[in-house]
Amino acid sequence: MLTLGYNSVYFKKLSVVKAATKENFDFKAYADSIYYKGILKSKKITLSDLTSLMQSNPETTFEKYGNRLGIGNSAYFMIQSTGKIIDIKDGLYTIADEKNGIVYIDTKYIFGNAIRDASGLVKLTDFKTNAQFNKVSESLNDIIRNDVIPKEISKVKVGDSISFSGAIKLSKKQNLQEKISVIPSQIKLQ
Amino acid sequence: MKIRSLALLLLTVIFVFGCSSKDKSEKPKIAVVVSTLNNPWFVMLAESAAKNAEKLGYEAKIFDSQNNPAVESDNFENLISSGYDAILLNPTDSDGSISNVLKAKTAGIPVFCMDREINADDAATSQILSDNYSGCVSIGIEFVKELNEKGNYVEILGLVGDNNTWARSGGFHSVVDKFPNLKMVAQQSGNFDRNKAMEVLETIMQANPDIDAVFCGNDAMAMGAFQALQSAGKAYKVKIFGFDGAGDVIEKIREKKIVATGMQFPLIMAETAAKYADEYFKGRRNFPQRVPVEVELVNAANIKDY
Repeated sequence: MLTLGYNSVYFKKLSVVKAATKENFDFKAYADSIYYKGILKSKKITLSDLTSLMQSNPETTFEKYGNRLGIGNSAYFMIQSTGKIIDIKDGLYTIADEKNGIVYIDTKYIFGNAIRDASGLVKLTDFKTNAQFNKVSESLNDIIRNDVIPKEISKVKVGDSISFSGAIKLSKKQNLQEKISVIPSQIKLQ
Repeated sequence: MKIRSLALLLLTVIFVFGCSSKDKSEKPKIAVVVSTLNNPWFVMLAESAAKNAEKLGYEAKIFDSQNNPAVESDNFENLISSGYDAILLNPTDSDGSISNVLKAKTAGIPVFCMDREINADDAATSQILSDNYSGCVSIGIEFVKELNEKGNYVEILGLVGDNNTWARSGGFHSVVDKFPNLKMVAQQSGNFDRNKAMEVLETIMQANPDIDAVFCGNDAMAMGAFQALQSAGKAYKVKIFGFDGAGDVIEKIREKKIVATGMQFPLIMAETAAKYADEYFKGRRNFPQRVPVEVELVNAANIKDY
């Protein structure tokens, strides 16, 4: 009698799977270069220009200034603006923006792909898997959240005028009168 | 002798081409190979892919891989020999499915992955995937805020061999691990299965009765966790977070019994995969290798929109 068999059940240890995702690529050095040579030096649209263009022609504005990888209703934009700090609470800076009313800068939750995608500097095709691509965001966020922003906000207080830049997420159906929240890439005392 | 060799050659030619070539008037056939039909979410993905393929004028058939790469391999062998022209695949395993996709590629059959990624960028024609990582970053932020940055929690993972499991877990931990007063007391796989997740959480709670939250890698497991907590009389004390945007979890968010989920868009993934297959038949060859599809956070603040 001929018996045929195959592995019908696959077992993998959690530790093996976790170890397999580690790569030799230096994500920190790569993110350093993207931040200091790319994001800081890149030309950004002012928040007031963006909101005005969004009201007059959202489709073109999304295409020209927005960055979305793949399919979705929203896009990230890299903006810059100025304003006066009117409140600071648990890492959330409330800014009376000279041209845009109240804007919030969230210095605590600098996570996810907002900065990477808004910058438009990193392509999905540059990395073999989504996991590697996401590691770029984590390294970039670490630089901004742990190194850049703490130094910059240590110099500012309520009542100060600042200039700031960072990523915002907008959908085509966005009500621009609702609160605008910025994930900062830079905050500077004016 | 020469005549006999010629006849043999002729027979071989007839056999080879007779088996693999199609009548030109025959509609191209699209196979939808899905990881499991034991979960309503994947049933919806598969049926939608098949329906979209039919709408575009193709014959479509669904194959169930029963969450088993070996069954998936059998499915691929069957559909390659049956003359299918394209495969819309929801893989069972990010590594284990690569050889199946390569088999199809060698046979000249394009494969469009839906929802689950394989760890190769030169096997599938294109991979249309939920942006699980970003979705779970949003859930992680919501989790930290809901728990006021402190508490003990359990993570119930999906299938260990599926990239989505780790993309979701990775996105969640990229946020939560930065808050030292949030302590993960247990992390275990619930295989994306409701009953398994319920059993897993019941066992975990025997050793860790005081937990404040559970993060589940999909909504079926969030429902299983809810059942376990309800049986233990803790349904309102422990905050539950899921991922998928399944109808029953959306209702539980409305009833404030589950805190949040990540809304995926399986219909968009299925529609895009079928559309890509159609474009492939019409001559397109240049497809993006990975197409992320946005995931939206659903919580009490925006539940009215869903």
